[in-house]
Amino acid sequence: MLDGPGRQADVLLLDLNLKGQLVIDRVAELSTTGRRVVVFSQHADPDTVLAVLEAGACEFVAKDEAADHCVAAIIAAAADLPYVTPSVAGAMAADTTDGRPKLSARERTALLWWFQGMSKESVAQRMGIAETTVRQYIARARAKYATTGREAATKTALLARAIEDGLIRLDEVGDYHSFGADPRPRNS
Amino acid sequence: MPDAPVDLVARRYTRNTAIAAVVIAVGWHVGEDLPAMILGWSDYRWPAVVAAAWLTYAVVAVVAAVAILRAEQPMRHAWAYAAITLALTAVVAASAHGQLLTLPSWAWGAVGWLAVMLYWHRPVWHLVAFLAANAAVGLAVLVAAGTLDRVSIARYLMVVAGSTALQLGFAGGARALQAAADWTAAASAAQAEIHTERRAAGEVHRTRLRRFHALQQTAGHFLAGLADRSARPGDPAVQRRCAIEAARLRRLFLETDDLPDPLVDDIWACADVADRKGIVVDMAVVGDLPTVPADVRKALVEPAGELLAAARTRARITLAGLGDQVVVSVIADTDLTEVTATDTARVTVNCHREGDRLWVETRWADPSPSPSSRTIPLSSKASDPGSTRHATRSR
Repeated sequence: MLDGPGRQADVLLLDLNLKGQLVIDRVAELSTTGRRVVVFSQHADPDTVLAVLEAGACEFVAKDEAADHCVAAIIAAAADLPYVTPSVAGAMAADTTDGRPKLSARERTALLWWFQGMSKESVAQRMGIAETTVRQYIARARAKYATTGREAATKTALLARAIEDGLIRLDEVGDYHSFGADPRPRNS
Repeated sequence: MPDAPVDLVARRYTRNTAIAAVVIAVGWHVGEDLPAMILGWSDYRWPAVVAAAWLTYAVVAVVAAVAILRAEQPMRHAWAYAAITLALTAVVAASAHGQLLTLPSWAWGAVGWLAVMLYWHRPVWHLVAFLAANAAVGLAVLVAAGTLDRVSIARYLMVVAGSTALQLGFAGGARALQAAADWTAAASAAQAEIHTERRAAGEVHRTRLRRFHALQQTAGHFLAGLADRSARPGDPAVQRRCAIEAARLRRLFLETDDLPDPLVDDIWACADVADRKGIVVDMAVVGDLPTVPADVRKALVEPAGELLAAARTRARITLAGLGDQVVVSVIADTDLTEVTATDTARVTVNCHREGDRLWVETRWADPSPSPSSRTIPLSSKASDPGSTRHATRSR
Protein backbone atom coordinates (compact mmCIF):
# COMPACT_ATOMS: atom_id res chain seq x y z
CA MET A 1 0.00 0.00 0.00
CA LEU A 2 2.75 2.46 1.02
CA ASP A 3 4.78 1.48 -2.01
CA GLY A 4 1.81 1.88 -4.29
CA PRO A 5 -0.85 4.57 -4.35
CA GLY A 6 -0.23 5.45 -0.69
CA ARG A 7 3.31 6.64 -1.27
CA GLN A 8 2.40 10.24 -1.95
CA ALA A 9 -0.42 10.45 0.58
CA ASP A 10 -0.27 13.37 3.06
CA VAL A 11 -2.45 11.61 5.58
CA LEU A 12 -3.11 7.92 6.17
CA LEU A 13 -6.46 6.82 7.54
CA LEU A 14 -5.73 3.62 9.43
CA ASP A 15 -8.20 1.13 10.81
CA LEU A 16 -6.61 -0.25 13.98
CA ASN A 17 -8.12 -3.64 13.46
CA LEU A 18 -6.19 -5.27 10.64
CA LYS A 19 -6.85 -8.96 10.10
CA GLY A 20 -8.15 -9.33 13.61
CA GLN A 21 -5.15 -7.68 15.30
CA LEU A 22 -4.77 -4.22 16.83
CA VAL A 23 -1.87 -2.56 15.05
CA ILE A 24 -0.95 0.14 17.58
CA ASP A 25 2.78 -0.56 17.15
CA ARG A 26 2.44 0.01 13.43
CA VAL A 27 1.10 3.49 14.24
CA ALA A 28 4.39 4.24 16.00
CA GLU A 29 6.34 2.90 13.06
CA LEU A 30 4.44 5.08 10.58
CA SER A 31 4.52 8.18 12.80
CA THR A 32 8.24 7.92 13.48
CA THR A 33 8.85 8.19 9.76
CA GLY A 34 6.77 11.34 9.71
CA ARG A 35 3.61 9.96 8.15
CA ARG A 36 0.48 11.60 9.45
CA VAL A 37 -1.84 8.89 10.67
CA VAL A 38 -5.48 9.37 11.52
CA VAL A 39 -6.62 6.28 13.36
CA PHE A 40 -10.16 5.17 12.74
CA SER A 41 -11.48 2.44 15.01
CA GLN A 42 -14.36 0.97 16.93
CA HIS A 43 -11.92 0.42 19.82
CA ALA A 44 -12.53 3.80 21.40
CA ASP A 45 -11.70 2.83 24.98
CA PRO A 46 -9.44 5.43 26.66
CA ASP A 47 -6.47 3.05 26.95
CA THR A 48 -6.43 2.43 23.21
CA VAL A 49 -7.00 6.10 22.40
CA LEU A 50 -4.13 7.25 24.63
CA ALA A 51 -1.85 4.49 23.33
CA VAL A 52 -2.54 5.56 19.78
CA LEU A 53 -1.78 9.22 20.55
CA GLU A 54 1.31 8.17 22.45
CA ALA A 55 2.44 6.24 19.39
CA GLY A 56 2.29 9.47 17.41
CA ALA A 57 -1.04 9.33 15.59
CA CYS A 58 -2.32 12.78 14.65
CA GLU A 59 -5.94 12.07 15.47
CA PHE A 60 -8.26 9.35 16.60
CA VAL A 61 -11.75 9.00 15.20
CA ALA A 62 -14.14 6.47 16.69
CA LYS A 63 -16.39 4.71 14.21
CA ASP A 64 -19.53 6.38 15.50
CA GLU A 65 -17.81 9.77 15.17
CA ALA A 66 -16.93 9.24 11.52
CA ALA A 67 -19.86 11.14 9.99
CA ASP A 68 -19.21 14.27 12.05
CA HIS A 69 -15.45 14.30 12.36
CA CYS A 70 -13.60 12.09 9.91
CA VAL A 71 -13.11 14.55 7.01
CA ALA A 72 -12.36 17.49 9.30
CA ALA A 73 -9.82 15.41 11.23
CA ILE A 74 -8.01 14.43 8.04
CA ILE A 75 -7.89 18.06 6.83
CA ALA A 76 -6.58 19.21 10.22
CA ALA A 77 -3.95 16.46 10.26
CA ALA A 78 -2.72 17.50 6.82
CA ALA A 79 -2.04 20.99 8.22
CA ASP A 80 -0.50 19.64 11.48
CA LEU A 81 -3.35 21.25 13.39
CA PRO A 82 -4.68 19.57 16.53
CA TYR A 83 -8.11 18.08 16.10
CA VAL A 84 -9.81 16.54 19.10
CA THR A 85 -12.73 14.20 18.65
CA PRO A 86 -15.04 13.64 21.65
CA SER A 87 -13.53 10.18 22.24
CA VAL A 88 -10.04 11.70 22.50
CA ALA A 89 -11.36 14.50 24.73
CA GLY A 90 -12.84 11.92 27.13
CA ALA A 91 -9.64 9.90 27.24
CA MET A 92 -7.60 13.03 28.03
CA ALA A 93 -10.09 14.38 30.62
CA ALA A 94 -10.07 11.14 32.62
CA ASP A 95 -6.40 10.30 32.12
CA THR A 96 -4.67 9.16 35.32
CA THR A 97 -1.65 7.48 33.77
CA ASP A 98 1.78 8.37 35.08
CA GLY A 99 3.60 10.90 32.98
CA ARG A 100 0.41 12.51 31.69
CA PRO A 101 0.76 16.19 30.83
CA LYS A 102 -0.55 18.74 33.31
CA LEU A 103 -3.86 20.08 32.09
CA SER A 104 -5.52 23.05 33.73
CA ALA A 105 -8.91 22.61 35.43
CA ARG A 106 -10.58 24.70 32.70
CA GLU A 107 -8.98 22.62 29.96
CA ARG A 108 -10.32 19.49 31.64
CA THR A 109 -13.80 20.98 31.94
CA ALA A 110 -13.83 21.95 28.27
CA LEU A 111 -12.61 18.46 27.34
CA LEU A 112 -15.21 16.72 29.52
CA TRP A 113 -18.15 18.67 28.12
CA TRP A 114 -16.92 18.28 24.56
CA PHE A 115 -16.61 14.54 25.25
CA GLN A 116 -20.17 14.46 26.56
CA GLY A 117 -21.43 15.66 23.19
CA MET A 118 -22.18 19.35 23.69
CA SER A 119 -21.40 21.74 20.89
CA LYS A 120 -18.41 23.99 21.48
CA GLU A 121 -20.82 26.92 21.50
CA SER A 122 -22.71 25.37 24.41
CA VAL A 123 -19.49 24.53 26.23
CA ALA A 124 -18.49 28.18 25.85
CA GLN A 125 -21.86 29.35 27.18
CA ARG A 126 -21.66 27.09 30.19
CA MET A 127 -18.08 28.10 30.95
CA GLY A 128 -18.92 31.76 30.40
CA ILE A 129 -16.18 32.25 27.83
CA ALA A 130 -15.90 32.76 24.08
CA GLU A 131 -16.15 29.77 21.77
CA THR A 132 -12.67 30.53 20.41
CA THR A 133 -11.33 30.18 23.96
CA VAL A 134 -12.96 26.77 24.26
CA ARG A 135 -11.30 25.74 21.00
CA GLN A 136 -8.01 27.02 22.39
CA TYR A 137 -8.38 25.06 25.63
CA ILE A 138 -9.08 21.85 23.76
CA ALA A 139 -6.32 22.38 21.20
CA ARG A 140 -3.83 23.32 23.93
CA ALA A 141 -4.64 20.12 25.83
CA ARG A 142 -4.02 18.14 22.64
CA ALA A 143 -0.76 19.97 22.00
CA LYS A 144 0.39 19.12 25.53
CA TYR A 145 -0.15 15.45 24.73
CA ALA A 146 2.29 15.85 21.85
CA THR A 147 4.96 16.64 24.47
CA THR A 148 4.69 13.29 26.24
CA GLY A 149 5.77 9.78 25.51
CA ARG A 150 7.99 8.59 22.74
CA GLU A 151 9.20 10.97 20.09
CA ALA A 152 7.60 11.05 16.70
CA ALA A 153 8.03 13.38 13.78
CA THR A 154 4.27 13.95 13.74
CA LYS A 155 4.32 15.16 17.34
CA THR A 156 7.12 17.61 16.58
CA ALA A 157 5.21 18.93 13.58
CA LEU A 158 2.06 19.39 15.64
CA LEU A 159 4.00 21.12 18.41
CA ALA A 160 5.85 23.35 16.01
CA ARG A 161 2.56 24.43 14.47
CA ALA A 162 1.01 24.96 17.93
CA ILE A 163 3.93 27.15 19.00
CA GLU A 164 3.76 29.06 15.72
CA ASP A 165 0.04 29.68 16.24
CA GLY A 166 0.65 30.90 19.80
CA LEU A 167 -1.34 27.98 21.24
CA ILE A 168 1.44 26.81 23.51
CA ARG A 169 4.69 28.47 24.56
CA LEU A 170 8.09 26.91 24.10
CA ASP A 171 8.72 26.90 27.85
CA GLU A 172 5.51 24.88 28.39
CA VAL A 173 6.83 22.12 26.20
CA GLY A 174 8.98 21.03 29.13
CA ASP A 175 11.52 18.30 28.77
CA TYR A 176 10.54 17.23 25.30
CA HIS A 177 13.69 16.13 23.56
CA SER A 178 14.86 17.43 20.28
CA PHE A 179 14.86 15.02 17.38
CA GLY A 180 18.41 16.06 16.75
CA ALA A 181 19.33 13.49 19.39
CA ASP A 182 17.17 10.76 17.89
CA PRO A 183 19.38 8.12 16.27
CA ARG A 184 16.48 6.47 14.44
CA PRO A 185 16.40 7.02 10.68
CA ARG A 186 13.65 9.22 9.35
CA ASN A 187 12.41 9.50 5.82
CA SER A 188 10.24 12.55 6.19
CA MET B 1 -11.03 -6.72 54.57
CA PRO B 2 -9.63 -6.41 58.09
CA ASP B 3 -12.33 -8.59 59.67
CA ALA B 4 -12.40 -11.48 57.26
CA PRO B 5 -12.82 -14.86 58.99
CA VAL B 6 -9.24 -15.82 58.11
CA ASP B 7 -7.95 -12.73 59.90
CA LEU B 8 -9.98 -13.67 62.94
CA VAL B 9 -8.41 -17.12 62.92
CA ALA B 10 -4.93 -15.60 62.65
CA ARG B 11 -5.70 -13.22 65.49
CA ARG B 12 -6.92 -16.10 67.64
CA TYR B 13 -3.64 -17.92 67.10
CA THR B 14 -1.72 -14.84 68.19
CA ARG B 15 -3.91 -14.43 71.24
CA ASN B 16 -3.56 -18.05 72.30
CA THR B 17 0.23 -17.91 72.21
CA ALA B 18 0.03 -14.73 74.30
CA ILE B 19 -2.16 -16.55 76.82
CA ALA B 20 0.44 -19.33 76.97
CA ALA B 21 3.15 -16.77 77.75
CA VAL B 22 1.04 -15.28 80.56
CA VAL B 23 0.26 -18.69 82.06
CA ILE B 24 3.94 -19.67 82.10
CA ALA B 25 5.13 -16.39 83.67
CA VAL B 26 2.36 -16.11 86.25
CA GLY B 27 2.38 -19.86 86.98
CA TRP B 28 6.13 -19.80 87.55
CA HIS B 29 5.87 -16.77 89.82
CA VAL B 30 3.09 -18.26 91.95
CA GLY B 31 4.04 -21.93 91.77
CA GLU B 32 7.84 -21.67 92.02
CA ASP B 33 8.87 -18.22 93.28
CA LEU B 34 6.30 -17.99 96.09
CA PRO B 35 7.15 -21.37 97.75
CA ALA B 36 10.88 -20.56 97.28
CA MET B 37 10.42 -17.26 99.10
CA ILE B 38 8.40 -18.84 101.92
CA LEU B 39 10.92 -21.66 102.40
CA GLY B 40 13.85 -19.21 102.55
CA TRP B 41 11.98 -16.58 104.59
CA SER B 42 14.02 -17.06 107.81
CA ASP B 43 17.35 -16.92 105.98
CA TYR B 44 16.77 -13.58 104.18
CA ARG B 45 18.72 -10.57 105.29
CA TRP B 46 15.67 -8.31 104.69
CA PRO B 47 12.55 -10.53 104.34
CA ALA B 48 10.19 -7.55 103.87
CA VAL B 49 12.25 -6.28 100.94
CA VAL B 50 12.06 -9.69 99.30
CA ALA B 51 8.27 -9.76 99.80
CA ALA B 52 8.04 -6.28 98.25
CA ALA B 53 10.16 -7.50 95.33
CA TRP B 54 7.84 -10.48 94.85
CA LEU B 55 4.83 -8.15 94.80
CA THR B 56 6.51 -5.69 92.41
CA TYR B 57 7.39 -8.58 90.15
CA ALA B 58 3.73 -9.68 90.28
CA VAL B 59 2.52 -6.16 89.43
CA VAL B 60 4.86 -5.95 86.41
CA ALA B 61 3.61 -9.39 85.34
CA VAL B 62 -0.01 -8.27 85.51
CA VAL B 63 0.71 -5.03 83.62
CA ALA B 64 2.55 -6.95 80.90
CA ALA B 65 -0.17 -9.61 80.72
CA VAL B 66 -2.89 -7.00 80.27
CA ALA B 67 -0.81 -5.25 77.63
CA ILE B 68 -0.12 -8.29 75.46
CA LEU B 69 -3.66 -9.67 75.75
CA ARG B 70 -5.25 -6.35 74.87
CA ALA B 71 -3.10 -4.63 72.32
CA GLU B 72 -1.44 -5.88 69.17
CA GLN B 73 1.28 -3.26 69.41
CA PRO B 74 4.56 -3.46 71.32
CA MET B 75 4.13 -2.70 75.00
CA ARG B 76 5.11 0.83 75.97
CA HIS B 77 7.94 1.48 78.47
CA ALA B 78 9.05 -2.17 78.18
CA TRP B 79 12.68 -1.22 78.83
CA ALA B 80 11.72 0.70 82.01
CA TYR B 81 9.90 -2.36 83.36
CA ALA B 82 12.85 -4.49 82.32
CA ALA B 83 15.22 -2.25 84.31
CA ILE B 84 12.98 -2.59 87.36
CA THR B 85 13.01 -6.41 87.12
CA LEU B 86 16.79 -6.47 86.72
CA ALA B 87 17.07 -4.33 89.87
CA LEU B 88 14.76 -6.79 91.68
CA THR B 89 17.08 -9.64 90.74
CA ALA B 90 20.00 -7.87 92.33
CA VAL B 91 17.97 -6.91 95.43
CA VAL B 92 16.72 -10.47 96.00
CA ALA B 93 20.20 -11.91 95.47
CA ALA B 94 21.69 -9.38 97.92
CA SER B 95 18.99 -10.21 100.45
CA ALA B 96 19.84 -13.90 100.04
CA HIS B 97 23.39 -13.12 101.20
CA GLY B 98 24.81 -12.85 97.69
CA GLN B 99 23.70 -16.36 96.83
CA LEU B 100 22.57 -16.58 93.24
CA LEU B 101 22.02 -20.26 92.62
CA THR B 102 20.07 -21.24 95.71
CA LEU B 103 16.31 -21.69 95.98
CA PRO B 104 15.62 -18.51 98.02
CA SER B 105 17.29 -16.39 95.31
CA TRP B 106 14.34 -17.02 93.02
CA ALA B 107 14.28 -13.79 91.00
CA TRP B 108 17.33 -14.29 88.79
CA GLY B 109 16.14 -17.44 87.08
CA ALA B 110 12.48 -16.43 86.80
CA VAL B 111 12.82 -12.95 85.38
CA GLY B 112 13.33 -14.23 81.83
CA TRP B 113 9.68 -15.35 81.67
CA LEU B 114 8.62 -11.86 82.57
CA ALA B 115 10.83 -10.51 79.77
CA VAL B 116 9.16 -12.87 77.28
CA MET B 117 5.94 -10.93 77.96
CA LEU B 118 7.57 -7.50 78.05
CA TYR B 119 9.07 -7.96 74.57
CA TRP B 120 6.10 -9.83 73.09
CA HIS B 121 5.44 -7.76 69.95
CA ARG B 122 9.06 -6.74 69.48
CA PRO B 123 11.93 -8.21 67.50
CA VAL B 124 13.43 -11.21 69.28
CA TRP B 125 16.83 -9.49 69.67
CA HIS B 126 15.27 -7.25 72.36
CA LEU B 127 14.66 -10.35 74.45
CA VAL B 128 18.15 -11.63 73.70
CA ALA B 129 19.60 -8.31 74.87
CA PHE B 130 17.60 -8.49 78.09
CA LEU B 131 18.64 -12.07 78.82
CA ALA B 132 22.27 -11.09 78.22
CA ALA B 133 21.86 -8.18 80.65
CA ASN B 134 20.31 -10.54 83.22
CA ALA B 135 23.22 -12.97 82.81
CA ALA B 136 25.59 -10.04 83.36
CA VAL B 137 23.74 -9.08 86.55
CA GLY B 138 24.06 -12.68 87.74
CA LEU B 139 27.78 -12.68 87.02
CA ALA B 140 28.16 -9.38 88.88
CA VAL B 141 26.43 -10.92 91.92
CA LEU B 142 28.82 -13.90 91.80
CA VAL B 143 31.81 -11.58 91.61
CA ALA B 144 30.49 -9.37 94.45
CA ALA B 145 29.89 -12.40 96.65
CA GLY B 146 33.34 -13.79 95.80
CA THR B 147 31.90 -17.19 94.83
CA LEU B 148 33.88 -17.67 91.65
CA ASP B 149 34.79 -21.30 92.27
CA ARG B 150 34.51 -23.87 89.49
CA VAL B 151 31.32 -25.43 90.86
CA SER B 152 29.56 -22.06 91.14
CA ILE B 153 30.56 -21.01 87.64
CA ALA B 154 29.46 -24.36 86.21
CA ARG B 155 26.08 -24.08 87.92
CA TYR B 156 25.77 -20.45 86.78
CA LEU B 157 26.44 -21.42 83.18
CA MET B 158 24.04 -24.34 83.41
CA VAL B 159 21.20 -22.14 84.70
CA VAL B 160 21.91 -19.43 82.10
CA ALA B 161 21.93 -21.97 79.25
CA GLY B 162 18.86 -23.81 80.51
CA SER B 163 16.61 -20.85 81.20
CA THR B 164 17.71 -18.91 78.10
CA ALA B 165 17.09 -21.90 75.86
CA LEU B 166 13.58 -22.38 77.26
CA GLN B 167 12.66 -18.70 77.11
CA LEU B 168 14.11 -18.03 73.66
CA GLY B 169 12.66 -21.28 72.38
CA PHE B 170 9.21 -20.30 73.52
CA ALA B 171 9.48 -16.72 72.17
CA GLY B 172 10.79 -17.97 68.81
CA GLY B 173 8.12 -20.66 68.58
CA ALA B 174 5.37 -18.15 69.31
CA ARG B 175 6.65 -15.85 66.58
CA ALA B 176 6.87 -18.71 64.10
CA LEU B 177 3.30 -19.72 64.92
CA GLN B 178 2.12 -16.14 64.37
CA ALA B 179 3.96 -15.92 61.07
CA ALA B 180 2.42 -19.22 59.94
CA ALA B 181 -1.04 -17.98 60.94
CA ASP B 182 -0.46 -14.74 59.01
CA TRP B 183 0.64 -16.67 55.92
CA THR B 184 -2.38 -18.91 56.14
CA ALA B 185 -4.65 -15.89 56.51
CA ALA B 186 -3.06 -14.18 53.51
CA ALA B 187 -3.32 -17.33 51.41
CA SER B 188 -6.97 -17.83 52.36
CA ALA B 189 -7.75 -14.17 51.62
CA ALA B 190 -6.12 -14.46 48.20
CA GLN B 191 -8.11 -17.61 47.53
CA ALA B 192 -11.35 -15.91 48.57
CA GLU B 193 -10.56 -12.98 46.33
CA ILE B 194 -9.93 -15.25 43.36
CA HIS B 195 -13.19 -17.02 44.10
CA THR B 196 -15.09 -13.71 44.24
CA GLU B 197 -13.47 -12.50 41.03
CA ARG B 198 -14.30 -15.75 39.30
CA ARG B 199 -17.93 -15.47 40.35
CA ALA B 200 -18.05 -11.83 39.24
CA ALA B 201 -16.46 -12.69 35.91
CA GLY B 202 -18.98 -15.49 35.52
CA GLU B 203 -21.81 -13.07 36.19
CA VAL B 204 -20.43 -10.60 33.66
CA HIS B 205 -20.06 -13.40 31.15
CA ARG B 206 -23.66 -14.52 31.63
CA THR B 207 -24.91 -10.92 31.23
CA ARG B 208 -22.88 -10.55 28.07
CA LEU B 209 -24.19 -13.83 26.71
CA ARG B 210 -27.74 -12.69 27.43
CA ARG B 211 -27.12 -9.42 25.58
CA PHE B 212 -25.43 -11.29 22.77
CA HIS B 213 -28.42 -13.58 22.37
CA ALA B 214 -30.76 -10.59 22.46
CA LEU B 215 -28.68 -8.95 19.74
CA GLN B 216 -28.74 -12.13 17.71
CA GLN B 217 -32.51 -11.99 17.85
CA THR B 218 -32.67 -8.40 16.63
CA ALA B 219 -29.49 -7.70 14.66
CA GLY B 220 -29.35 -11.27 13.35
CA HIS B 221 -32.90 -11.21 12.00
CA PHE B 222 -32.31 -7.79 10.59
CA LEU B 223 -29.17 -8.87 8.75
CA ALA B 224 -31.03 -11.90 7.45
CA GLY B 225 -33.69 -9.54 6.15
CA LEU B 226 -31.03 -7.52 4.32
CA ALA B 227 -29.54 -10.69 2.90
CA ASP B 228 -32.80 -12.10 1.54
CA ARG B 229 -33.79 -8.62 0.32
CA SER B 230 -36.95 -8.44 2.34
CA ALA B 231 -35.46 -5.26 3.87
CA ARG B 232 -34.27 -2.64 1.41
CA PRO B 233 -31.15 -0.62 2.36
CA GLY B 234 -32.61 2.47 0.64
CA ASP B 235 -35.57 2.51 3.01
CA PRO B 236 -35.11 5.20 5.71
CA ALA B 237 -36.74 2.93 8.27
CA VAL B 238 -34.24 0.19 7.46
CA GLN B 239 -31.38 2.66 7.73
CA ARG B 240 -32.63 3.73 11.11
CA ARG B 241 -32.85 0.13 12.32
CA CYS B 242 -29.30 -0.30 11.04
CA ALA B 243 -28.10 2.65 13.10
CA ILE B 244 -29.82 1.35 16.24
CA GLU B 245 -28.43 -2.16 15.92
CA ALA B 246 -24.96 -0.79 15.21
CA ALA B 247 -25.13 1.38 18.34
CA ARG B 248 -26.20 -1.66 20.38
CA LEU B 249 -23.31 -3.70 19.01
CA ARG B 250 -20.88 -0.90 19.87
CA ARG B 251 -22.19 -0.84 23.42
CA LEU B 252 -21.61 -4.56 23.66
CA PHE B 253 -18.01 -4.10 22.49
CA LEU B 254 -17.57 -1.29 24.98
CA GLU B 255 -17.69 -3.63 27.93
CA THR B 256 -14.27 -5.03 28.59
CA ASP B 257 -14.20 -5.06 32.38
CA ASP B 258 -14.45 -8.37 34.15
CA LEU B 259 -16.16 -6.92 37.19
CA PRO B 260 -19.83 -6.01 37.13
CA ASP B 261 -20.45 -2.33 37.75
CA PRO B 262 -23.98 -1.58 38.98
CA LEU B 263 -23.82 2.02 37.72
CA VAL B 264 -22.92 0.91 34.19
CA ASP B 265 -25.59 -1.79 34.38
CA ASP B 266 -28.25 0.77 35.36
CA ILE B 267 -27.25 3.07 32.52
CA TRP B 268 -27.30 0.06 30.18
CA ALA B 269 -30.84 -0.72 31.24
CA CYS B 270 -31.92 2.86 30.40
CA ALA B 271 -30.16 2.64 27.03
CA ASP B 272 -31.86 -0.69 26.28
CA VAL B 273 -35.27 0.82 26.95
CA ALA B 274 -34.48 3.78 24.70
CA ASP B 275 -33.24 1.79 21.75
CA ARG B 276 -36.17 -0.57 21.90
CA LYS B 277 -38.20 2.57 21.26
CA GLY B 278 -36.17 3.19 18.11
CA ILE B 279 -33.60 5.65 19.41
CA VAL B 280 -29.95 5.43 18.40
CA VAL B 281 -28.04 5.38 21.68
CA ASP B 282 -24.29 5.91 21.73
CA MET B 283 -22.42 5.30 24.92
CA ALA B 284 -18.90 6.09 26.10
CA VAL B 285 -17.16 5.40 29.40
CA VAL B 286 -13.86 6.96 30.49
CA GLY B 287 -11.84 6.75 33.69
CA ASP B 288 -12.13 4.39 36.63
CA LEU B 289 -15.56 4.44 38.19
CA PRO B 290 -15.49 4.16 41.99
CA THR B 291 -18.12 2.13 43.83
CA VAL B 292 -21.14 4.35 44.15
CA PRO B 293 -23.61 3.85 47.04
CA ALA B 294 -27.01 2.58 45.89
CA ASP B 295 -28.95 5.76 46.75
CA VAL B 296 -26.37 7.94 45.01
CA ARG B 297 -26.50 5.63 42.01
CA LYS B 298 -30.24 6.12 41.78
CA ALA B 299 -29.81 9.90 42.03
CA LEU B 300 -27.14 9.82 39.30
CA VAL B 301 -29.10 7.64 36.90
CA GLU B 302 -32.66 8.94 37.28
CA PRO B 303 -32.29 12.30 35.49
CA ALA B 304 -30.34 10.59 32.71
CA GLY B 305 -33.01 7.91 32.45
CA GLU B 306 -35.75 10.50 32.25
CA LEU B 307 -34.07 12.28 29.35
CA LEU B 308 -33.39 8.97 27.57
CA ALA B 309 -37.04 8.03 27.92
CA ALA B 310 -38.05 11.34 26.33
CA ALA B 311 -35.47 11.27 23.52
CA ARG B 312 -36.80 11.46 19.97
CA THR B 313 -34.19 9.97 17.66
CA ARG B 314 -30.61 10.11 19.03
CA ALA B 315 -28.94 10.10 22.40
CA ARG B 316 -25.38 10.02 23.65
CA ILE B 317 -24.61 8.73 27.14
CA THR B 318 -21.27 9.26 28.80
CA LEU B 319 -19.87 8.07 32.09
CA ALA B 320 -16.69 9.60 33.42
CA GLY B 321 -14.68 8.59 36.48
CA LEU B 322 -12.47 11.53 37.40
CA GLY B 323 -10.61 10.33 40.47
CA ASP B 324 -12.99 11.46 43.21
CA GLN B 325 -15.90 12.36 40.93
CA VAL B 326 -18.38 10.43 38.87
CA VAL B 327 -20.07 12.31 36.05
CA VAL B 328 -23.03 10.89 34.13
CA SER B 329 -24.34 12.79 31.16
CA VAL B 330 -26.93 12.36 28.45
CA ILE B 331 -27.48 14.58 25.46
CA ALA B 332 -30.51 13.91 23.28
CA ASP B 333 -33.01 15.56 20.98
CA THR B 334 -36.17 15.97 22.98
CA ASP B 335 -39.13 18.21 23.79
CA LEU B 336 -38.20 18.22 27.46
CA THR B 337 -36.92 21.54 28.75
CA GLU B 338 -35.51 20.19 31.96
CA VAL B 339 -35.46 17.02 34.03
CA THR B 340 -36.79 16.48 37.50
CA ALA B 341 -34.03 15.97 39.98
CA THR B 342 -35.28 14.42 43.18
CA ASP B 343 -32.06 14.11 45.10
CA THR B 344 -29.99 17.24 44.65
CA ALA B 345 -28.55 16.81 48.14
CA ARG B 346 -26.42 13.91 46.97
CA VAL B 347 -25.68 14.83 43.38
CA THR B 348 -25.35 18.01 41.36
CA VAL B 349 -27.67 18.14 38.37
CA ASN B 350 -27.11 20.48 35.44
CA CYS B 351 -29.22 21.02 32.34
CA HIS B 352 -28.49 22.95 29.20
CA ARG B 353 -30.72 23.46 26.19
CA GLU B 354 -28.96 23.47 22.84
CA GLY B 355 -31.32 23.92 19.91
CA ASP B 356 -33.59 20.87 19.94
CA ARG B 357 -31.19 18.98 22.19
CA LEU B 358 -31.11 18.86 25.95
CA TRP B 359 -27.94 18.09 27.89
CA VAL B 360 -28.22 16.69 31.39
CA GLU B 361 -25.27 16.06 33.64
CA THR B 362 -25.33 14.48 37.10
CA ARG B 363 -22.22 14.62 39.19
CA TRP B 364 -21.25 13.01 42.48
CA ALA B 365 -18.14 13.80 44.45
CA ASP B 366 -16.92 10.83 46.46
CA PRO B 367 -16.47 12.15 50.02
CA SER B 368 -13.99 9.39 50.83
CA PRO B 369 -11.85 8.69 47.80
CA SER B 370 -9.70 5.64 48.30
CA PRO B 371 -6.02 6.44 48.80
CA SER B 372 -5.20 4.71 45.55
CA SER B 373 -7.52 6.85 43.48
CA ARG B 374 -5.89 9.89 42.06
CA THR B 375 -7.76 13.13 41.96
CA ILE B 376 -8.01 15.13 38.81
CA PRO B 377 -8.69 18.81 39.36
CA LEU B 378 -11.76 19.84 37.45
CA SER B 379 -13.59 23.10 37.71
CA SER B 380 -17.18 21.99 38.09
CA LYS B 381 -18.33 25.49 38.84
CA ALA B 382 -19.14 27.16 35.59
CA SER B 383 -20.74 30.52 35.28
CA ASP B 384 -24.39 30.05 34.59
CA PRO B 385 -25.76 32.34 31.93
CA GLY B 386 -29.48 32.73 31.32
CA SER B 387 -29.87 29.78 29.02
CA THR B 388 -28.70 27.30 31.64
CA ARG B 389 -30.14 26.30 34.94
CA HIS B 390 -29.81 23.83 37.72
CA ALA B 391 -32.73 21.50 37.80
CA THR B 392 -33.82 21.55 41.37
CA ARG B 393 -37.54 21.13 40.95
CA SER B 394 -38.88 18.43 43.21
CA ARG B 395 -41.17 15.76 42.02
